[in-house]
Amino acid sequence: MSTALTTARAPRGSAGRGRVIRRLVPGVLLVLLALIGPFLAAHPLDKPVTAPFATAGDGAPLGGDQLGRDVLSRLLHGGTALIGSALLVAAVVTALAALAGCFAVLHPAVGRAVERTADVFILLPPILGIMLIALAWPGGGRWAVISAAIILGTPYAVRIVAGAAAPLADAGYVEAALAGGESLIYTATRELLPNLRSTILALFGLRFVEAVYVISMAGFLQIGPQPPAADWALMIRENSSGILLNPWAVVAPSLAIAALAISVNLAATSLAPRSARKAVITP
Amino acid sequence: MAELSHAPKGSAVAAPAGTGAATARRRPLPIPHLGRFAAAVGRRVLMLAILLALVFAAVELLPGDAATATSERGESAADIAARRHLLGLDRPVWERFWDWMAGLFTGDLGVSARGEKITQMLADPFPNTLLLAALAFVLTAVASVALGCWAAARPGRLIDRVIGHASTSAFAIPEFVVSVGLLMLLSLWTGWLPAVTVAGADGRPATWTMLITPVLALVIPQTGWNTTIVRGALADQAATPHVEAAHLDGLPVRRVIWRHALPGAVPAIATGLATSTGMLLGGTVVVETLFNYPGIGSVLASAVSTRDTPLIAGVVVCAGTAISLVLLTADLVRARVLGSHA
Repeated sequence: MSTALTTARAPRGSAGRGRVIRRLVPGVLLVLLALIGPFLAAHPLDKPVTAPFATAGDGAPLGGDQLGRDVLSRLLHGGTALIGSALLVAAVVTALAALAGCFAVLHPAVGRAVERTADVFILLPPILGIMLIALAWPGGGRWAVISAAIILGTPYAVRIVAGAAAPLADAGYVEAALAGGESLIYTATRELLPNLRSTILALFGLRFVEAVYVISMAGFLQIGPQPPAADWALMIRENSSGILLNPWAVVAPSLAIAALAISVNLAATSLAPRSARKAVITP
Repeated sequence: MAELSHAPKGSAVAAPAGTGAATARRRPLPIPHLGRFAAAVGRRVLMLAILLALVFAAVELLPGDAATATSERGESAADIAARRHLLGLDRPVWERFWDWMAGLFTGDLGVSARGEKITQMLADPFPNTLLLAALAFVLTAVASVALGCWAAARPGRLIDRVIGHASTSAFAIPEFVVSVGLLMLLSLWTGWLPAVTVAGADGRPATWTMLITPVLALVIPQTGWNTTIVRGALADQAATPHVEAAHLDGLPVRRVIWRHALPGAVPAIATGLATSTGMLLGGTVVVETLFNYPGIGSVLASAVSTRDTPLIAGVVVCAGTAISLVLLTADLVRARVLGSHA
């Protein structure tokens, strides 16, 4: 299936690597910027420095929010927790999915269970699942959202790893390892996973994007971060009433989320294995 | 026509975050048509029942029930116990579970933490939400097939790359961020469309123009996702012998795609669209909140602030049923395209 594809693309191999790196840069830079953002902020996040919804002016380059706090400072503060949570969710989901996905292809019964679980969870819109868990766990706060995102994201991710690992399970060396009496864990971690590097890396990126999506959505619905915390999604919600007075209070955090999602998504898809990018080949 | 059964080949890798094994090869069962239909329905109903059991268990196992969650500050333990009795929360778990599940069959979703009938609370807003989601679904289907075909007709050229990058970017952006962009563009700067939805006397949006911005906010990310799937499925089809033959016979590209490649790509596209229903409904909730649209978004927002878990479980039931129906339709489309040629 992919032999024609690889030969067709082989001459562009070295140029491809440079392009992959170029596509990784914006995402990585943005994540770093958001993580060190709080140190760059000029004002503390909860101190009013200007009039409510004041337009851009002295001391507040992006104007004030609904309580007159500096939008730029809050913007710099607002990404850390979102990105931190998303990184955690992506790492845990990817690790769980990598292991479970390998077990699923080595063990047909586990494979069927994974399929059924994913079939069940697809019926639950993630945001409703998060609401349910966050509300049934009072005081859970951000951790409730993080756990919900992990629980709801894993079945689907397992399915993707299993899909990528399935062709490898029939490979001679995997059968040889199993026939040689190697344990399931050994076969999964030493024989299968090393061959799934690019899939796992791409999966991590896409899970990060998905985590930003659900966590920011939860933040927008006021589950998770609570005022006066600075959070991009929460800023959009809080300041949407003053969008006519100071559009930047809403537009700036929107742009921040969009830029983060797009840049990381581009990075992730450029890491995806060639076989997953069949869309670029000509008929 | 026999080649069409190649359709699902490799479609699991068509999209990076793929529809995964959902589109994996599945051999049609050698049982008559009606039997297969019943089996598909039974499978989806079973999945839904399992989900509902999980939802019930989650609400049950996690700390805090409806009575404590809605308690006022300083309310005595006796008062909470009294309300727990009123809501029937002091009965055994199995009895309540049975009652809840049995009630669902008659359309009774139980009572909210405040003691109101959930079915009644959702009767007006849920159809509004379905209207929004259904409009977005249809537009998404049309737009993603059109864009996917357009890109496939010029493989590797500029337009293919532009559509590819644009759709990858679009599906990463949360709906409420898209909404803000559209709101700035269509309402505040140009003043073409209303910025908020005003409900008429019948509880529906007063004018149809109020639907445009919310629907677009839902369509843009979902179209990004589905265009990737359509393009991938068409690329898979392009590699099949019958499409290659049609191409080599010198048929016009448009005809090759429309008549030869697209029919085989239908199962993958149907599954992709069906899996985006959940995202669409979830996105609807959020977009509604931003536009003040009279749907379940506002019901959920108030449920969040009053910590009304039974109400959210009721919404999960409605959403799960709607998604099951769409998935079932996709199952039947797949069975029809693949099964009859096996």
